[in-house]
Amino acid sequence: MIPLLQAQAPATSFWSEAFNSSELWTKLIITLIVGLVVMVGLLYAPIRARKPIVAFFTFISGAYWVLLYLWPKPIDRQPGEMPLNTVETVSFWLADSNNVVVSFTQILTGFLLGLGIFSLLKIHLTKISKGHKDAFFSIVLLASMGLMIWFGYADWFDRLGERGAMLDNRDNWGFTQYGRDFLFEGLLQQMDAAMFSVIAFYILSAAYRAFRVRSVEATILLSAALLVLLSLMGAVSFVWDENVKAIANGNPFILNFQLTEVAQWIRNTFQTSSIRGIQFGVGLGALAMGLRLWLSLEKPGSGS
Amino acid sequence: MMPLSEVYIGEQYRDSGWFGVFMTLLVAAFVLVNIRRARGGKDLYIRRIAGLNAIDEAIGRATEMGKPVLMVPGLSDTINAIAVQAVNIFAYVSRIAARFANPILLCCYNAAVYTYAQETIRDVYQSEGVADRYDPDSVRFVSDRQFAFAAGVSGLILREQTAATFFLGEFYAESLIFAETANSIGAIQVASSTETTQTPFFIAACDYVLIGDEFYAASAYLTRQPVLVGSLVGQDWSKLMIILMIVFGTILNTFEIQGKTTSERTKGVWSQIPERNKKQSDTFMSQLFKPQLEKVKVERPIDPNYVPEAEAAK
Repeated sequence: MIPLLQAQAPATSFWSEAFNSSELWTKLIITLIVGLVVMVGLLYAPIRARKPIVAFFTFISGAYWVLLYLWPKPIDRQPGEMPLNTVETVSFWLADSNNVVVSFTQILTGFLLGLGIFSLLKIHLTKISKGHKDAFFSIVLLASMGLMIWFGYADWFDRLGERGAMLDNRDNWGFTQYGRDFLFEGLLQQMDAAMFSVIAFYILSAAYRAFRVRSVEATILLSAALLVLLSLMGAVSFVWDENVKAIANGNPFILNFQLTEVAQWIRNTFQTSSIRGIQFGVGLGALAMGLRLWLSLEKPGSGS
Repeated sequence: MMPLSEVYIGEQYRDSGWFGVFMTLLVAAFVLVNIRRARGGKDLYIRRIAGLNAIDEAIGRATEMGKPVLMVPGLSDTINAIAVQAVNIFAYVSRIAARFANPILLCCYNAAVYTYAQETIRDVYQSEGVADRYDPDSVRFVSDRQFAFAAGVSGLILREQTAATFFLGEFYAESLIFAETANSIGAIQVASSTETTQTPFFIAACDYVLIGDEFYAASAYLTRQPVLVGSLVGQDWSKLMIILMIVFGTILNTFEIQGKTTSERTKGVWSQIPERNKKQSDTFMSQLFKPQLEKVKVERPIDPNYVPEAEAAK
């Protein structure tokens, strides 16, 4: 994660200051004071004022991205360069702020993950304490979570220390590294792969239901799918295409009936255009939704 | 070197780059104008969407069977427009379920979506005057790992024997695991994925599927709120504009491609060439949609405090 105020040598942006410099400490203290004032202000704000406050912060947050998109972006900017004019000063500031704004989202997500873990603990500890019939699975889940967190952090601390570089070599591993490796690579990754492989069987059963000849549409779907599937089978498409070439005897119209040509035509003409049509709709919907959220026209739970 | 006057233009507006920005602003204008029209009392029409009519049917079935309704707002990595829209639709589902005292289960992949969903569903129960029926554990965070989440939700579907399932939002490879598991216990399913690659899987396995922007039309269709209906009509205007551009572009390209050319535009600069047949890249529409940017050099003063990264590392 990128630190909020980058303590690095090239002090060329609003968000970067030299390590341990007075400017860095001044900015940190100002940020802390402003943050505390805002937090206390929000806590004591009257309930009626909360909606406009949320709308204000939503607008400010969204305005950054809108400005980043609309404000003239710097052309051919090189490291260490200074802006030529006011327009560029703003565009440099917007570009430099990007990483910082993105890290706000990551910090918020980090806080919210705690709430997610709280939800998991609450549900499963209740199950265990009430002796629910599936309590065993809750014990397994909580034990796995605890072990994974412990081994993950222990390994991370080891790698931060003096032995860190040595741990790239498996011969130098200790109990912590083997434990983490067993839990992450040996169990979690394998179980992920197992779940993923289950999809192959589900595809078969879903395809069986979808491709039954029940209606005109289903029959068209079945025929198109069959042609595309056959075109991907090397032996089948080779024999078919060679026969068509022999029959065509150079006739360009008949050559269109080669299996690979037909499959390509289905993909280019029907599949691609359909997908693009759907994508246009999804894109426009997301843009309209984003606009409503940004301007607080959309209320939470407005589906009800 | 680039003239100073052009430095003001901005990278995104160079050549035909301005066109994308202009189109985005035009779509935003369409949406806002129609929201204003709808707020002014203009009666705007929305066509029938079968998948959304099925929501009431699915909840009614769950109520008759006395089994829970399961909802999944997709696997968004963060709280975004898709997740908010999914939770908005689930607010409607939860309202109907609350009226019939039907249990619900809302499984979240992302902790931010979880907190938003919890607040929203709690508000729904309070506004219905049945806050005591709200079970805080009905909205739960399952996991933020794709297949761990898939395993957790599938397990819930099988253990709770849900009568109706709603999968709306961003779904990826796990879509078929959910849909087939729910299908195996005979649950009625309404699904929609904003990922076009997953829509066919939902169509194959679910009873009703919202395709593409039907997902965004859902809250307008269900509630008929002027803001949402106006926004939907704005989207339709935008689609109409895109259709007209496609038709115009197709006709224009068909005629242009027949001709010959003696000039070629490379990286924004025209040059004379021997006569040849026109290519796709020579057409007006191709040049409008694909900005050709010449590499330019802008001279700027160097910050006196700047230390190159290589030196700073030493």
